[in-house]
Amino acid sequence: MYNLFNSNKIFFFILFFSTLISISSNSWFGCWIGLEINLLSFIPLISNSNNLFSTEASLKYFLTQSIASLNFLFTILIKLTLMKNFEMNNFLTIMMNSSMLMKMGSVPFHFWFPNIIEGLSWLNSFILMTWQKITPLILMSYCMNNYFINIIIILNIIIGAIGGLNQTSLRKLMAFSSINNLGWMIMSISISETLWIFYFSMYSFMISILCFFFYILNMYFINQLFINNMNFLVKINILINFLSLGGLPPFIGFFPKWIIINFLINNNMYLMTFIFVMMSLIMLFFYIRISYSAIMFNYMKNKWFKIYIKNKYFLFINFFSFFSITGMILSTLFFY
Amino acid sequence: MNNMKYSICFISFFFLFMMMMVNFFFMIYFIMNDMVILMEWEIMSFNSLSIVMSILLDWMSLLFMMFVFLISSVVIYYSKSYMQSELNLSRFIILVLLFVFSMMLLIISPNIISILLGWDGLGLVSYCLVIYYQNLKSYNAGMLTALSNRVGDVFILIVISWMLNYGSWNYIFYLEFMNNDWEMMMIGSMIIMAAMTKSAQIPFSSWLPAAMAAPTPVSALVHSSTLVTAGVYLLIRFNMMLLDMFFLKLLLLLSGLTMFMAGISANYEFDLKKIIALSTLSQLGLMMSILSMGLPDLAFFHLLTHAMFKALLFMCAGIIIHMMNDIQDIRFMGGISLYIPLTSLCMNISNMALCGIPFLAGFYSKDLILELVSFSNLNLMIFFLYYLSTGLTMFYSFRLMMYLMVNDFNLLSIFNLYDEDYIMLKSMFVLLFMSIISGSFLSWMIFSYPYMIYLPFNLKMMVIYVSLVGGMLGYFISNMKIYSVNKFLMTYNLSNFLCLMWFMPNLSTYGLSYYFLNLGQSLLKNIDMGWSEIYSGFGMMQVMKKYSVFYNVYQMNNFMIYLFSFIIWMFILFMMLMFNN
Repeated sequence: MYNLFNSNKIFFFILFFSTLISISSNSWFGCWIGLEINLLSFIPLISNSNNLFSTEASLKYFLTQSIASLNFLFTILIKLTLMKNFEMNNFLTIMMNSSMLMKMGSVPFHFWFPNIIEGLSWLNSFILMTWQKITPLILMSYCMNNYFINIIIILNIIIGAIGGLNQTSLRKLMAFSSINNLGWMIMSISISETLWIFYFSMYSFMISILCFFFYILNMYFINQLFINNMNFLVKINILINFLSLGGLPPFIGFFPKWIIINFLINNNMYLMTFIFVMMSLIMLFFYIRISYSAIMFNYMKNKWFKIYIKNKYFLFINFFSFFSITGMILSTLFFY
Repeated sequence: MNNMKYSICFISFFFLFMMMMVNFFFMIYFIMNDMVILMEWEIMSFNSLSIVMSILLDWMSLLFMMFVFLISSVVIYYSKSYMQSELNLSRFIILVLLFVFSMMLLIISPNIISILLGWDGLGLVSYCLVIYYQNLKSYNAGMLTALSNRVGDVFILIVISWMLNYGSWNYIFYLEFMNNDWEMMMIGSMIIMAAMTKSAQIPFSSWLPAAMAAPTPVSALVHSSTLVTAGVYLLIRFNMMLLDMFFLKLLLLLSGLTMFMAGISANYEFDLKKIIALSTLSQLGLMMSILSMGLPDLAFFHLLTHAMFKALLFMCAGIIIHMMNDIQDIRFMGGISLYIPLTSLCMNISNMALCGIPFLAGFYSKDLILELVSFSNLNLMIFFLYYLSTGLTMFYSFRLMMYLMVNDFNLLSIFNLYDEDYIMLKSMFVLLFMSIISGSFLSWMIFSYPYMIYLPFNLKMMVIYVSLVGGMLGYFISNMKIYSVNKFLMTYNLSNFLCLMWFMPNLSTYGLSYYFLNLGQSLLKNIDMGWSEIYSGFGMMQVMKKYSVFYNVYQMNNFMIYLFSFIIWMFILFMMLMFNN
């Protein structure tokens, strides 16, 4: 909470409104302007003069985002001059999509994403994983090259699952999980925007609980879950939220995935469905590996630290975890 | 506990004894009026199939119930003293009562489903009773007992599914009318197999001596009237249907061999309870074989008389084991008739009744059986099996008697044999009375007219010949010196074969599980921990890890390369855009 309520307030404001500028703009230039403002407002949020890593991360973020914006600008200019701002071309859409993919850290251009998130605090990681994806996704949905995007989706799903398998850093792990979920999100936005909103809000909800959690507990690596003497309920909450994120049925994380799978099957995308489901199995595997060993295998081991969590945030966590558990069941109340 | 009147043993005894009296009077009434009562309670009915609980009360079931109640009441009374210092006496008594209850269900129902209820109940409770003393030997014996009986349960289940054809499970209605049906033949074969497991006939006989791990009162109950006779009783009920079947001839051979095998093994045995168990096995073989010759009422007769003296024999053995400081080996015993005359009296009378000494219980049934065997049309082998086994019964009974009563006391120089446990003695005297009179009483009661027997002199005297020879051999073998015993080593393999019940315990435990365990181990190693591991869980994990490591190498590149490759990619796209136009 260190920078949420101090001088950075104005940058948060700009960050949010820049996104709104670009997604509600009716010209490509307006979109570009929104993107640039967004970049320039996020940099002060992540750079911290006391921390070398976050400074490095802000520099990297600036480089990648500016190159992506540059190419975006280049693409819209070409579109303006060569295509008379009228027609779209296959290559032009691929160029446009590529720059957007670079911006949100999707797979072929995602290498900056785990690198940068490693230098960020949990709150900034949360913003990077959720809010910063809105603009590129919406802009990409304006002109999608389906052949290209399908490949991108599959790559996202696979790389997100496999890349996270060997990670010990929780932030990197969440980054790869975000890459995987990006595949789902691109899929959902290519089907319908409402579906995307649903998936995105659910994903943000689950991610917010986990990030807030790790932020409170100050956890950055997996072994911190094992060597700390935590309340059993806390661990159970972590497990439930991870399972929810992985998409295990009784929890709410399954709900958006279920709907997307339903739409995929309706559109006869069986291979896609297969890959989605199989890779979410791997996702679930490493989610479980974290929380399961924290609860079961290493539970009786000697601990090095003892954490007492008795602050007001913990109540929030429990409250949100309650939604995570019962959300899917409660949501049936809407459809009687 | 110490108050006799309000102990669970006394209450159960009183209840069971009253039930015995009720059954006794009803039995008399039913026989006099030649009555049968059949009650049916329909539990559920679907698709013209009705599952009913039927109760058949005729003189046979009432008589059998009377005997079971008598023996169980006496056994429970006996347990009051025998299990005196037992911590879980209530559990023990409740198990015995459950056992009796299962037996009742089996006796009174002519319906194969409700028979299964009693049948399975017997198997389960017998398992609980065999493992009552919690040690490794008991567990093994209990498992052997339970699994051997389980085979019979499976056969009963198959019978249930076969009888679905007929739309009802009340088998008594089909015994005559469906006699020549092929399905009925299958049912009959299954019933015979089931009865063979319960009555421990030859391929399944290893559990019966093993079940001696149970407390002695349980042995008295199990080996006289309840568990092992269930199979015989079932075949008596089914006998009308089975008469023409080939399988019954096979049963005749197998039960004759069982009788013979048990008789021989009993002669090699030194464990007091095991000798009695083997004699039970021998008598069961006798019942089964006379049954398979088509004389069910004789089998029933012998079943009842045998129940009396066998229960008594076990109870005497229990007292002796108690006094011998829990030692069962008969080589340590000897001369006990000097110290415990009343127990020895009971023991000797029951032993003689077992041998068929005239005018004791066993005489009436065994003599009748053997004369009818001589009377009927049999081949030489079956004939000799009967007579040799009769001789062998005499043989091991006399050997046992000599070892226990006559020889020197061999246990310790300081001992305390006393004959003043009146709770046990009172219960034994009831059975003593019964094992003297029950033969004549039953023969007058059951058979409305005497069998007409018509034999040449030597054949008629055959029983006495073999008995005398057997008794003499028993006397001689009990006096055998230790160096003569060692001469059995000259025929080591033969002795092994004979004293290990023809290798049957090995065959049904180690011999059966050896190959399957080996197979299981190889399957475990090759499939579970081998191929299926490689091609599912572990192999997948390895492949994924490999990919992950491969991917992480890409992740370690210089940051500039990523940006540069993106720019090149955009450049390529731009060039293609340009040249496409």
